[in-house]
Amino acid sequence: MSRLRSNQAGIKAVLLLLVLGGLAPYLFMIITSGKTNQQFERSFWAPDLPFHLENYATAWNQIRPYLLNSVQVAVISIVITAVIASVSGFVLSRYRFPGRRLLYGLVLVLMAVPGITNLIPLFVMMRDFNLLNTYVVLVIPYATGGIVLGTILMRNFIDAIPQSIYDAARVDGAGAIRMYTHVTLPLSFPALGSISLITLTTVWNDFFWPLLVISDDRMRTVSVGLQYFQGQNAISYGPLMAGYLLASVPLVVVFVLLSKYFLAGVQGGLAGSQ
Amino acid sequence: MVGLFAYYPALSAFFHSAFEWNPGSGSTFVGADNYRQMLQDAVWWHSFRNLGVIFVFNLVTWIFPLLAAELLITLKSRRWQFAMRTLLIVPMAFPGVVTALIWGFFYDPNTGVFNQVLAAIGLESLQQNWTGSPNSALISLLLVGFPFIGGLPFLVFYSGLNNIPREIFEAAALDGLGRWGRLWRVDLPLIAGQLRVLLFLVVVGTFQYGFVAYVLTQGGPDNATVVPLLWTISQAFTAANWGYAAALSAVLFTVTLAFSAVIALHRRRETGMADGGRM
Repeated sequence: MSRLRSNQAGIKAVLLLLVLGGLAPYLFMIITSGKTNQQFERSFWAPDLPFHLENYATAWNQIRPYLLNSVQVAVISIVITAVIASVSGFVLSRYRFPGRRLLYGLVLVLMAVPGITNLIPLFVMMRDFNLLNTYVVLVIPYATGGIVLGTILMRNFIDAIPQSIYDAARVDGAGAIRMYTHVTLPLSFPALGSISLITLTTVWNDFFWPLLVISDDRMRTVSVGLQYFQGQNAISYGPLMAGYLLASVPLVVVFVLLSKYFLAGVQGGLAGSQ
Repeated sequence: MVGLFAYYPALSAFFHSAFEWNPGSGSTFVGADNYRQMLQDAVWWHSFRNLGVIFVFNLVTWIFPLLAAELLITLKSRRWQFAMRTLLIVPMAFPGVVTALIWGFFYDPNTGVFNQVLAAIGLESLQQNWTGSPNSALISLLLVGFPFIGGLPFLVFYSGLNNIPREIFEAAALDGLGRWGRLWRVDLPLIAGQLRVLLFLVVVGTFQYGFVAYVLTQGGPDNATVVPLLWTISQAFTAANWGYAAALSAVLFTVTLAFSAVIALHRRRETGMADGGRM
């Protein structure tokens, strides 16, 4: 019995070590974000008082436009994705019409298309449409990708809703639209949550697309904006790290509050691509 | 009307992907010249060699998430299990660009953490310009994200192992199978299906690698860390060889799709056999 307990303690110790290894860069970021350059040189590792909160104000002023851009692009993409994916998932799941299987097959094939290799052709197309440096050009690939994955997730999810609920609604006189708004939507809330989170993380993390299509600094999103921010603050470490932290906050907060949906989303993406 | 909504996503995305072969407006027809040029492009070939290294390294690093997942399911306390799982995946919540930039800060030759540590333990001779020297740049890129736990492999291992009924572990223990033997003869075979899916995703993901390299080294120094994606982008946007870049991205697209198809077919056949061979 005592051997078992020491075993468990050893496992905890190893796991804690792994946790520490994984979190070390972020802890370093938090510690450094409150330091002046003098403090940073005096004590490289340890937290040092006083904690300079004004670093955050400096950083916030510089990265606020990037954050707002990312938020706007994310919200637009999420709304478009959620609406279209839920309607098409509902239709594919609940209606019988010729070509339904083929259509779903076509959506599944799209999952296998590697998005990033489309960068160049898509860029040329957007340039020809004169859409560079607009929100539209940022939203298009996220919405398209989100709709493909979202349709698959929604269809699978709606498939699992018992048909008897729909039959009951029909007996009560509900039409197609009412069945969508009053039955499908409320019941598929978890799936919609996952789809929204996937879209949010995609928008927040995507790098090459905004790098290529946006040249106007006022239009830059977080991922690319941070690189420019880094260039401007390369030698003032406190504000630099504070900026990194501020840029992470939205995703981390969402992750902490909704980690269940977050993980379901990541693994749902896995299931969808099988 | 309903059909319109259902068709739209498929059609719009197909519309986008159909532009694979269109190198831009007002271009002259050059036939296969771009492809001939590609075959003689030493950097292009080098970029695939780098991809190979990246891929193999990725597979080797599965050791860490696998270890973490095995340890996690061995924990008795539910509360510890939950807390540890959450902490292990927290790095996933940070934006990729933040992670890359912090690591870039670590690699800084003067104020970076690595050189500071080496100085502190008296190994100044091992200090180097991590991302700036062709010898260490690639390995520096690969180490970003150490210990590689906050990611899809960990989630797959953990959920896979968690779904194995405890009775099987108990039976294995009764049969005198040690922890190591259990890993090879019980755990891994039972999650083989998930491992194959994961392998598929890693293959496809490797072809899309480039973001960390762009942030930290931009493919340099001297193309030491170039990958196909970066080379394609630099051909288009730096060298303005749009036609050539379109050819490169078409090849990258086809290769990725071919790999996906091969693995998907292979998987189907194997699962078919496994079903037939089951008791």
